[in-house]
Amino acid sequence: MAIEGADIVKAAAFIGAGLAMGFGAIGPGVGEGFAAGKACEAIGKKPEEAGLLTRTMLVGQAVSESTGIYSLVIALLLLFVV
Amino acid sequence: MDELTEIPQMTLEFFGINLVFNTQTILMTWVVMAALIGFGFLATKKIGFLPNPFQVVGELLVTVFQGLTLDALGEDLAKKYFPLICGLFMFLLLSNWLGIIPELSEPTKDLNTPLGLGIMGFCIAHYSGIKAKGFKAYVKGYTEPIIFLAPLNVIGEISKVISISFRLFGNIMGGAIIILVVSHLVYSLILPPALNLFFGLFVGTIQAFVFTMLTLVYISVQVN
Repeated sequence: MAIEGADIVKAAAFIGAGLAMGFGAIGPGVGEGFAAGKACEAIGKKPEEAGLLTRTMLVGQAVSESTGIYSLVIALLLLFVV
Repeated sequence: MDELTEIPQMTLEFFGINLVFNTQTILMTWVVMAALIGFGFLATKKIGFLPNPFQVVGELLVTVFQGLTLDALGEDLAKKYFPLICGLFMFLLLSNWLGIIPELSEPTKDLNTPLGLGIMGFCIAHYSGIKAKGFKAYVKGYTEPIIFLAPLNVIGEISKVISISFRLFGNIMGGAIIILVVSHLVYSLILPPALNLFFGLFVGTIQAFVFTMLTLVYISVQVN
């Protein structure tokens, strides 16, 4: 069974999807962890504002997650479209 | 696993133009709209001092979003844009929750729905900006701080639409794919309900809220 050009393209697309997801997950992981840590500190200082802080933290995390989501979209494109 | 990439489509020949409809998305959007209309009917049917459960949920939504729009836009504009914001949130919330029910799928899983809503928010934001500031001040806003940066400002405005719609689409699509793959791995035992709880209810609620809040923020940035 000979390896053709299409197979190489397919293999490259799979490797690219893995790389995109792996590197793309670093930033959101660090960012969301940082936001959660800061929110924990703030709740420790002001426990009575816990509800507001949690809501703000979740919205901020959802926004900072978007770079990871972009890499997920790219990975899905590479997996299913190429 | 074949259902992963399958998009049910219907092509219609219309005076030489091929119109392609994503039938599943349209059908699910209708389901959501019917549910919302039913909810509105039930919530306002017997308004009383002792509210029925639907009225309680409706009052909760109205109170929360009235406060949010009032904070962001001010007294006059809040009254005008509150129905849009509240309706957008209710539609997105129900759309994201629809995937929990077997055989139904989220309309937001198709990129066309979030992109359409994102473009709608973009157009509304810029229309309200032109109306509030006047056309001259609106155009002048693009030449801040110096005129050479005008192309960058235009690209920044367009990238807002891309980011807001791809965020929603990626979250819902990614969640749906993870649920499908894990369900196949464990033969639909034990794990899928927990995954549906997280990706369907939790992420769906947060993403609907984020989309709504960002649309509101884009409007308030253009107005002020």
